[in-house]
Amino acid sequence: MILKFSKNSKTKIDEILERYPNKQAATLPVLFIAQREFGHLSREAMEAVAKILETSYAHVYGVATFYTLYNKKPVGKYHVQICGNLSCSIMGGENIQEYLKKKLKLNFGETTQDGKFTLSSVECLASCGTGPAMQINEAYYEKLTPEKVDEILNSLK
Amino acid sequence: METILTPNFNLPDSHTLPVYEKTGGYKTLHKLLKMRPDEVIEEVKKSGLRGRGGAGFGTGLKWSFVPKDPPGPRYLCVNADEGEPGTFKDRALLEKDPHRLIEGSVMCAYAIGAAVGYIYIRGEFDLPYRRIEAALQEAYQKGYLGKNILGSPFSFDLYTHQGAGAYICGEETALLNSIEGKRGEPRIKPPFPAISGLFGAPTVINNVETLSALPYIIEKGAEAYASIGTPKSTGTKLFSVSGPVKKPGVYEVPLGYPLRKFLDEYAGGLMEGKILKAVIPGGSSVPVLTAQEVEEVNLDYESLQEHGSMLGSGGMIVIPDDFCMVHALEILAHFYSHESCGQCSPCREGTAWIYKILKRLEKGQGTPEDLDLLIDISNGMAGQTICVLSDALAMPVKSFLAKFKNEFEEHISLGYCPHRASFRTSGAPTYLSSDQLLWSPRFQSL
Amino acid sequence: MVEITVDGKKITVPHGINLIEAARLAGGFIPHYCYHSKLSVAGNCRMCLVEIEKVPKLQVACNTTVRDGMVFYTNNDRVKRAREQVLEFILVNHPLDCPVCDQAGECKLQEFYMQYDLRESRFRESKSHKPKVVDLGPRVVLDMERCILCTRCVRFCREIAKSDELCVSERGSRNKLTTYPGKALENAYSTNVVDICPVGALTSKDFRFKRRVWFLKKEKSICPGCARGCNIEIHHHDNKIFRLVPRTNEEVNQCWMCDEGRDTYKPVLAQNRLRSPMGFEAGQRTQFSSTEIMPRIQNALSGIAGIDGKSIVGIGSAQATNEDNYALKKFLEITFKSKNLLYHKNESDHPTHDNFLICADKNPNTNGIEALDFVKINTNKKFQAFFILGNLPEEAIKKIALEKKRVVIMLATHDDEDSKWPDFVIPTTTFAESTGTFMNIQRRVQKISPALISPGESRSAWEFFSDLSTYFGKENPIYHSAEAVFQDIVEEHLCYQGLTYKSLGETGKVCP
Ligand SMILES: Cc1cc2nc3c(=O)[nH]c(=O)nc-3n(C[C@H](O)[C@H](O)[C@H](O)COP(=O)(O)O)c2cc1C
Ligand code: SF4
Ligand code: SF4
Ligand code: SF4
Ligand code: FES
Ligand code: FES
Repeated sequence: MILKFSKNSKTKIDEILERYPNKQAATLPVLFIAQREFGHLSREAMEAVAKILETSYAHVYGVATFYTLYNKKPVGKYHVQICGNLSCSIMGGENIQEYLKKKLKLNFGETTQDGKFTLSSVECLASCGTGPAMQINEAYYEKLTPEKVDEILNSLK
Repeated sequence: METILTPNFNLPDSHTLPVYEKTGGYKTLHKLLKMRPDEVIEEVKKSGLRGRGGAGFGTGLKWSFVPKDPPGPRYLCVNADEGEPGTFKDRALLEKDPHRLIEGSVMCAYAIGAAVGYIYIRGEFDLPYRRIEAALQEAYQKGYLGKNILGSPFSFDLYTHQGAGAYICGEETALLNSIEGKRGEPRIKPPFPAISGLFGAPTVINNVETLSALPYIIEKGAEAYASIGTPKSTGTKLFSVSGPVKKPGVYEVPLGYPLRKFLDEYAGGLMEGKILKAVIPGGSSVPVLTAQEVEEVNLDYESLQEHGSMLGSGGMIVIPDDFCMVHALEILAHFYSHESCGQCSPCREGTAWIYKILKRLEKGQGTPEDLDLLIDISNGMAGQTICVLSDALAMPVKSFLAKFKNEFEEHISLGYCPHRASFRTSGAPTYLSSDQLLWSPRFQSL
Repeated sequence: MVEITVDGKKITVPHGINLIEAARLAGGFIPHYCYHSKLSVAGNCRMCLVEIEKVPKLQVACNTTVRDGMVFYTNNDRVKRAREQVLEFILVNHPLDCPVCDQAGECKLQEFYMQYDLRESRFRESKSHKPKVVDLGPRVVLDMERCILCTRCVRFCREIAKSDELCVSERGSRNKLTTYPGKALENAYSTNVVDICPVGALTSKDFRFKRRVWFLKKEKSICPGCARGCNIEIHHHDNKIFRLVPRTNEEVNQCWMCDEGRDTYKPVLAQNRLRSPMGFEAGQRTQFSSTEIMPRIQNALSGIAGIDGKSIVGIGSAQATNEDNYALKKFLEITFKSKNLLYHKNESDHPTHDNFLICADKNPNTNGIEALDFVKINTNKKFQAFFILGNLPEEAIKKIALEKKRVVIMLATHDDEDSKWPDFVIPTTTFAESTGTFMNIQRRVQKISPALISPGESRSAWEFFSDLSTYFGKENPIYHSAEAVFQDIVEEHLCYQGLTYKSLGETGKVCP
């Protein structure tokens, strides 16, 4: 299947291309646009990126797999990313990790059957002073306690 | 104390242009545009300002390496990739005072003759990204950016470029590759970026905090800045403190401040029931300090170096005595192994090897030879790779083993982790609120 | 030029070269994996660390340029220690495969380990496992566990083949060398990645498991695949060729060759190689010995009434050496006073070609045969007697044959449709069994030398004509070596002025 960018995305891509002296430089932002538009970076999505930027497939693949924010597999509606680094751990982050695993019945890297939650362990989110911290999609949640985790997850519909 | 970077942090809507302008923001651009670029560089040199991204390289000196009249373009890259565990000060600047960064960026661009700049902002940052984007728009509208800034012949475009989840892109040449749309692999040097950087053109990469200090330096003059701090470590620095202290957060401190005093006065001391075991003073990659050393050092480049550590990014991690040092090191090893770009054999293999050993050690399955091996592996990594990420793991390994060897030996002789049971069951902490708490990211619902 | 000191030895070297090349000039060797003189510098293997005086950290030799007065050490204790460490890292996740690895014997990992490390591994953790047999494309197989991620192959595809099919995916210790999922490594030069892979990670499907490399003998030659004339080595054993690999010639092919060229040895080994002379006896195609066939050829020619120089033609071949073609020319000139010299060449309608190595002209010696005054086969004139070098379809001759009785003598390599029809067929050598020269597209004259003993009674055309001329009693030169033929070519053809067979050396000389 050949994927095509929407008009809207194409306009955005054209805007982005203005910022750089060559097309390849737009690989990162255009991969984000593709991820937003096509859900995750399937092979077809990466090919669409390579084509629009007139760069090689291998280049796009090497880049897409290098960076952790690009999802090569589909993720749930809510991507729960809990920090596993030192400051958060010192503040009890590992308890929260265990709590999340139990609550969502997921191991890291897994998605709930209904496709609602994906659980990941991530590196330092630069929220160390307010750890334990997690990020759900774009939003940061900090100073986590099990009660607070309940509250947050319940609020996500 | 006079604050240089954070005077506006506690003002409502400090991130907006009107607030920044009301406190004198962007006024200094008029002064800047009347100076010659080499005068600006000279002023920054005289101020003694050193890079706040970790390496502490003289900022003015770095700018002076950029060729004066190269045939092509020159670039400025703003390093807002903050990812070193324990560090969250740039995030505060981006969220609380993005215009100060923009003004500082214009100053740097003017000095080095760059017409285009990119703010490389870590991909996870959402609020900071939206704030800087909004601030850029405001600045363009008011003519602080773009064509003929404030009617002068100087033009400067500043864009954001979002990272996509790779700590290594904070390394300046990996950052360049990432802006060029490539894998974030650090480049082999030479050539250095000042000669051949972004798109092969002369480039300066500066940290958010470094650039945010410029409006003050240009406005008040190099002497005013240099009068703060110590002779070699001038000015103020942001420290982000995390761990079981009463008031974790980001604080602006004149360099040379005693660490112990900082912990007590700014960070409020340790939480009830917690005893200080160690402090990692400058982001997770710098050698750890023992509680004893904490009593002796001052927060400046020289003092920390004398005590075998580094100022680094100013990300201070406080480790209480019930937290296992083997586990702490295991977490760091996991981080550096996960974040190694994997080009260099010693780093790719060494970081993963160290992590595997530590994981085993932490479970109580280590041997005494493992400890020597860890040192050996670290020696094989340090100083022998393209960038210093491999040193960033080698240094903690060596310092942890030098200063807390007893804990490693304990794991080996006991066959299990003596801290695990006691620490991990204790619940999440409660924080004290404090008016001295300069900034602390709240439960964001913006 | 700058003066440097390598391991205590003072030497003057050209400005701008790196320390690996400088050490080479000083007679030393700095072990390296990722560095390749034709590719950009990656500096990732860290094997080439050296100590430079007044520089605190060890530096990689591959990315350090010589400076005047530079003093460096490639083998002191500090450097040796670092090298051991780097090797240990590289071996951490490398499988213990040498006994079953095709690269054994030419593996830089094996070699450097023997030379510089030789310690037992201290790695007690579980090795990371990666796919062992990955089909990268029509010609190349990858063993991911053996790959040391030097990125030579990636850089080759990006910088030389310009096809960019390979990349490193993921990061850190999860790094993998790969093509884009579902895409093949299939550029026209793909097998070069096998040659430059310093370990046994990339292997050639054609060569894998056929023969251990230490058995192979090597003969310097020229690829007959096209007019480029890439310099090659023929790797052979037991009178069989196992592979062709490129040989460095900066002026011609640098150190590369194309995939098509690698296959040019296959016809040499074909089952249908012609082994003995063939003629007709009572209308039946019959095998003869070389001594039997000579007088028959002589008879056949003198049996034609009115035969003279005008009705006889030599058809040379752009596939054959200068020496073979010249011997034909000389034979006709002296024996029959004939100056009728045509040539044929391999041609196709849509020949592959590019602006790197591959030429549309699929013949190694078109320039050479034209320099000998042969002209491309045409129908301007008709002839009665034909001497043909190389297999040629009968149609090509019908167009230029007089409608009287004709005689055709062909020197052919293979017993196929194109060699079934002539009156006499003499088995001759392929490039892999010949000595002689080709003139390439740049008018560079390059030597080939025989790797194999030619099958049966086949022999070079120049040997055959020397022999045949004795039956005609004219003053034909009798050649005992290709070198002697070449000497005559030089004397007779202005463009060869000043050349000698020896002066061609290993990389040839350009004719003005
Ligand atoms: C592995 C690694 C990660 C780094 N991460 C950052 C970072 O997140 N932010 C930063 O400003 N500098 C980072 N640096 C330092 C930069 O390479 C560079 O020195 C700095 O951006 C220069 O700016 P400065 O002179 O203003 O400090 C990192 C360095 C290394 C080796
Ligand atoms: S030291 Fe590590 S992170 Fe840095 S370039 Fe080498 S492999 Fe990459
Ligand atoms: S396959 Fe060979 S050439 Fe390619 S990166 Fe791996 S070791 Fe290097
Ligand atoms: S380019 Fe021509 S001469 Fe070179 S290897 Fe290919 S076919 Fe042979
Ligand atoms: S350690 Fe968790 S956010 Fe920094
Ligand atoms: S050859 Fe120099 S680092 Fe690989």
